[in-house]
Amino acid sequence: MPLPRCLPLILPLLAALPAEAACYADWKAKQDQPLRLAYGVAELPDTACSGPDAAAAALAPRLSAAGWTLLNVVSLFGAEGLEPRRASAGDFFLRF
Amino acid sequence: MPATSSSASEPAGPGGLGGNRVVAGGIGAIVLILLGAAVLLFLNLPDANAFNARVERLFVENDALRSGAEIRLLEILAQSGTAFSEVLASYRMVIFVLLVFAAALLIAALVFLVTIVALNRRISAIQRSGIQVSSLMISREARAVYINDMEFALTEAAIETLSVLAEARMDDEVLTGAEIEGVITGRRAADCDEAAGAVRVKRLRDALGNQMVSELLVKTIARRGYVLAVGKDVIRVI
Repeated sequence: MPLPRCLPLILPLLAALPAEAACYADWKAKQDQPLRLAYGVAELPDTACSGPDAAAAALAPRLSAAGWTLLNVVSLFGAEGLEPRRASAGDFFLRF
Repeated sequence: MPATSSSASEPAGPGGLGGNRVVAGGIGAIVLILLGAAVLLFLNLPDANAFNARVERLFVENDALRSGAEIRLLEILAQSGTAFSEVLASYRMVIFVLLVFAAALLIAALVFLVTIVALNRRISAIQRSGIQVSSLMISREARAVYINDMEFALTEAAIETLSVLAEARMDDEVLTGAEIEGVITGRRAADCDEAAGAVRVKRLRDALGNQMVSELLVKTIARRGYVLAVGKDVIRVI
């Protein structure tokens, strides 16, 4: 099959790969007794990228499964925002 | 205190009862007020998590607080707050103990106050009546009368007169001079001389010494006769 003809088939596939992790969010969470605080970065599906509320709704169950209570979603950003946050997030960088 | 005042003057009786009501009501009020204060105190004291909540808010409101070191620092802050909350618990205990003390002191003060009021009332009653006879014991054999445990030696005739008056007093009767004479001599009162009885009363008063005091003890009721100015329940004849 000539290359130009199969391009329209491949392009959507290529586009679909980043669509799975359409955005990222950095979050703040806590544990009680004793109080522990955490800042982290998480990958979000496309459906949760519309705003901080949707992101929080998607994140909260994932965090609570690990024993953390979500406090707030600081911001939503793309893949370009990952590197500056890697140091701050530490252990929680893309952990949940 | 009501037990000792039962024998004496009439106003002390109802006064004592009213005092008891005041004491009961006062103690109830004090306990209620302090219970209310205790409940308010315990509800309003900051709880152990107040400090944690503040730290948490600080963490949420400042987006810049995100590096590991800063977060550790915040956690240490929260922990020192939690340590302070243990101090708070002990404060709570101290405050509660102080409240209990305050209640006890207030109750004691109230009881003393009521006691003082009752005593004042009794003292003024005593001052009014001049002499308060709390016990009058007539001993025929010893030929003596014990007034408030003070012994007064009397003649046979004076004892006789006093006994007659005491018996009459116990029956709530007022005797004329003639009746006194009649009872002592065993004749009918109509046959007796009023003056003879009056002389007996005079001799009794003289025998008891101080005329003013005995005047207060053996009261003359105009146109009716003589009566002991003593509560009936304090008289004992042996």
